Amino acid sequence: MNTLNESELKLFVDSVRRYFKVTTGQEPQITSAFLATDSLVGHDFNGIVTFSGSYNGHVMVSMPSKLLRELLLLQHETDLSDNNLLDAVGEIANTLGGNARKVLGSGLQISVPVKLQGASGIKARVRQHPYVITLRWNHQPALVCVDMERRH
Amino acid sequence: MRLMIVDDSNMIRTRISRVVQSGGLSGIAVVGLARNGAEAIRIARATQPDVVTMDLTMPEMDGIECITALLRMQPKTNILVVSALNDKSTAIAALKLGARGFVSKPFTDDELKLALLDVTAVH
Repeated sequence: MNTLNESELKLFVDSVRRYFKVTTGQEPQITSAFLATDSLVGHDFNGIVTFSGSYNGHVMVSMPSKLLRELLLLQHETDLSDNNLLDAVGEIANTLGGNARKVLGSGLQISVPVKLQGASGIKARVRQHPYVITLRWNHQPALVCVDMERRH
Repeated sequence: MRLMIVDDSNMIRTRISRVVQSGGLSGIAVVGLARNGAEAIRIARATQPDVVTMDLTMPEMDGIECITALLRMQPKTNILVVSALNDKSTAIAALKLGARGFVSKPFTDDELKLALLDVTAVH
């Protein structure tokens, strides 16, 4: 197993920037990108996509309800129930995971998203030192956690 | 023209519906919403869509399987793939199976409208 290199990890930073820019017209501010050493504290709504094939691991998107509500309102969505917020965060994880194939190749297999409510949801899924991207969009914090390895 | 939207995300189904209904595509009516390929096949039997927007990564039956099954059942259906799988080989595979266009997620309303116009112009 091999951990990802910097340019492979950067694709997730670019991808999350592009997601907000294209979907809302407003780029997020990337506030940090680091290798987590302490336990990770997420937000209430989590979308997780699992990788298999040429890579193993997950990409996790963790967002608070307020951010997701604003994102849905911008798309003229009127259903702001928790179920729909979970659907939205799952779709964002699916988009970031799917977009990674452009750089990482079609050998990267992607699961349908798993959605978890509760800030502890993200903790159970990650290993000790995942790569974490924190961001703010429309004054709201969020994080993307990339925990994957290349298979030989 | 009758449109069926196939995507496991409610956010995407609603968004595509809104784009279609809100302007520029007045000749298209949404006749079905499906959350996976298996549901799409059932709805297509009942509604006979002319155009389908098709996600690829879905539970139960994925988009690639669904394109094959749909075109076997209704060969004239115009399928526009709308997927986050944005690598070239996925797009080529979908087009080889008979899809008429490909839009990568995330997409703007205009990108979707143009792609739908392209696909329906072929019809």
